[in-house]
Amino acid sequence: MTTAQTGRAAPPGAPAGGAAARLLAGRAHQLNEIGLLAAIAVLYIALGSSAEGFLSVHNQLGMLRDAATIGIAAWGVTLVIIAREIDISIGPAVAFSSVLVAKGSAEWGLGVWGAIALTLVLGLLWGAAAGWLRAVFDVPSFITTLGVWSVLGGLGLYLTDALPVTLPESGAFDVLGGDVLGVPTAAVIMLVLFAVFAYVARFTPYGRSVYAIGGNAGAARLSGINLTRVRVLLFATTGLLSAVTGILLAARLGSGSGGAASGLEFDVIAAVVIGGTALAGGRGGMLGTLLGVVFITVIGNGLVLLGVDSFLQNVVRGVIIVGAVLVNVIVARRGRTTPTS
Amino acid sequence: MSTPLVRVADVTRHYPGVRALTGASLEIEAGEVRAFLGRNGAGKSTLIRVLSGVERADAGTVEIGGRPLGDGGVQRAGELGVQTVHQELSLVPGMTAAENLFLGHWPRTAAGRVDHAAMRRAAREIFDRLGLDIDPDAQVGTLPLAEQQLVEICRAVRREPRLLILDEPTSALAAAEVEIVLDAVRRIADSGVAVIYVSHRLDEIRRIARTATVMRDGRVVGTVDLTTTSTDEAVAMMLGSTYEAAVRPQSRTVDRTRTPLLSVSGLRVPPKVVDVSFDLYPGEILGLAGLMGSGRTEILRAVAGFAPIAAGTVRVDGEPVPRVTPAGMKRRGVGLTPEDRKSEAIVPLMGVGENMVMSDYGAVGTSLSVRPSRVARAARELIGRLSIAAASSRTPIAALSGGNQQKAVIGRWLHAGSRILLLDEPTRGVDVEAKEAIYQLVRELADRGAAVLFVSGELEELPLVCDRVIAVRGGTVAAEFTGADVTVDAVLSAAMAA
Repeated sequence: MTTAQTGRAAPPGAPAGGAAARLLAGRAHQLNEIGLLAAIAVLYIALGSSAEGFLSVHNQLGMLRDAATIGIAAWGVTLVIIAREIDISIGPAVAFSSVLVAKGSAEWGLGVWGAIALTLVLGLLWGAAAGWLRAVFDVPSFITTLGVWSVLGGLGLYLTDALPVTLPESGAFDVLGGDVLGVPTAAVIMLVLFAVFAYVARFTPYGRSVYAIGGNAGAARLSGINLTRVRVLLFATTGLLSAVTGILLAARLGSGSGGAASGLEFDVIAAVVIGGTALAGGRGGMLGTLLGVVFITVIGNGLVLLGVDSFLQNVVRGVIIVGAVLVNVIVARRGRTTPTS
Repeated sequence: MSTPLVRVADVTRHYPGVRALTGASLEIEAGEVRAFLGRNGAGKSTLIRVLSGVERADAGTVEIGGRPLGDGGVQRAGELGVQTVHQELSLVPGMTAAENLFLGHWPRTAAGRVDHAAMRRAAREIFDRLGLDIDPDAQVGTLPLAEQQLVEICRAVRREPRLLILDEPTSALAAAEVEIVLDAVRRIADSGVAVIYVSHRLDEIRRIARTATVMRDGRVVGTVDLTTTSTDEAVAMMLGSTYEAAVRPQSRTVDRTRTPLLSVSGLRVPPKVVDVSFDLYPGEILGLAGLMGSGRTEILRAVAGFAPIAAGTVRVDGEPVPRVTPAGMKRRGVGLTPEDRKSEAIVPLMGVGENMVMSDYGAVGTSLSVRPSRVARAARELIGRLSIAAASSRTPIAALSGGNQQKAVIGRWLHAGSRILLLDEPTRGVDVEAKEAIYQLVRELADRGAAVLFVSGELEELPLVCDRVIAVRGGTVAAEFTGADVTVDAVLSAAMAA
């Protein structure tokens, strides 16, 4: 995002060398976003003409709801990856959250709001725990979140005997799983959170610290940035967002299930990386991730509508995701090498 | 006298625009330890590279044991028995000491597997020969630094060299660890190997070598008998007569009756810093001189709260600091610019402006949000004040020259309102013009009341900037010079030896 900004903001008449470098750096980044937009447009044209019902309002709203399942967590994971960390716990965390909210409201007598509050608080806590292990003991975040992945995945299935837990009748769940003014509630929440995270990333000390840590953790530390606090917050955020996603998923399905959202963590990471956020840290942004989420959602929806065999769908998605990132990397490399040569 | 083992005659090596080595001649006997002395850029490294075959001489001859090195390169040098141990360790930390000794040349059994038993035996034999107590099966990464250095030396010894070149083998070691290395080197020489020993530590050189070849400006100035040459004489040879001519700025007046801004007493940071005390007054530029490995960086880090302090007191404005933490010292006005700009100071992808404001986001917004307009304003002001050549505050800092990057890193602490600036090698890797600009900047900051601790391994620059200099050696302050007494040779003598 930093580079994109610098490109746009190049003042006229600035000294040639710096301006050229900035323009090209900015353009490389915009190329990625423009390229993604173009790819999405191509997908829309192709699917609109070949897959029946793709362009219907009903299907578009459904896609928006699907996008929310990936998108809400993806905002948090974008910051995590910018800070040069990784979070692979999203899928089981979402499933376990759906179990928590269902059990809490249907069996533990917490009431609907009590169950929601419990789920959110626990999500925050397990995320913070993963971040704390990373920050204080230097356990790689891949491992701490792998632990969360395994523990929550197991707990969700254990608590429910792998059976769905039905939610009680409740107006709150109806709203959360339904629509607001015709738009899926989950999608509204996703878009509101998008705005919040886009602001946080660009305009808050916390957001800028995340970029600084991902760009050079040593320099950030010697500048007095508190690495521990930022790292704990990062994972507490993704824990909380997983809980939100799990609650929305349960409300929509009418039940909580330990087997829900299987493999979601990979869709989330793929969306972030397709969106141009570098796994090497320090570079990326929310707008790219938003486009990445749309890209992944459209492909998933299109494959279903085209009637592709569900096992084969994974194969196609895998190829498309790697291809998209490959193009991304090549474009970025070209953008970086041309100005200097 | 028998025929010398090493004979270098009239060797010249030019790079485009630089005469790195001109007409160098010297002879070294078998079993002799010869020290090489000279400032950075005096030609020591070039001569070593020629001897080890990495570079070819443009003119002149090198003979080892009577056989010419010619244009045979590294391979020929290896055949003639030249082995070089470089300053940077090239060990694989996760492998055992024995595996490292044979790195890439592991002995094999008849079945083609790596013969660990033979390797272990050979390693133990070499360690025993040098009187070392190193376990061949120990992982190198778990060994103390001195023993790692010895494994590196043993790897060269395993190839049975006739000439062993050691380039600053002790520069990364604490004073107490040095003796083990020196002892091993003595045994190597006693077995008839000629050793070239490069070091800046004269006291250490006196313990290991009887003769020293002094170089200056690409020439061999002479070879001296160390038993009859004083440190001052050696330093004078290294510096030459041109040195005192360097232009010194007008001396600044510092009121040392006031309460020191920063006062450090009895500071101990194991293993390198044993007992360091100094006061730093408002408006003063205090130089901290010391060789590599003298603990100068550790002192700065400890004072800024980034290294744990084992003992000692730090006072700011006369008030003792109960717990020295990064946040606490920053609040008290301490700012540290690290030695390694690229890896520890800049966030390369971020703009110059953002790189400067990251020390204090509160000053460019509220606690919850950063205002881009205020970032730009703060950055513009600093860019102007420090004359940073950057197209805009959003230019990525990596696109700037080293000198401008360094100014921005200093600017980071001006943004945070720091009054006590700890500058670790602020002129490293910047060109002459930028150096002058940084000196100027440091003086201006001091004129406005800041206290500056200026660390430099390039002792030549200390008289140009500092009002006072302390020299650190062996973990303590070995000497102090004020005003006109701050001269290159005095500081160099103090830093190198008593």
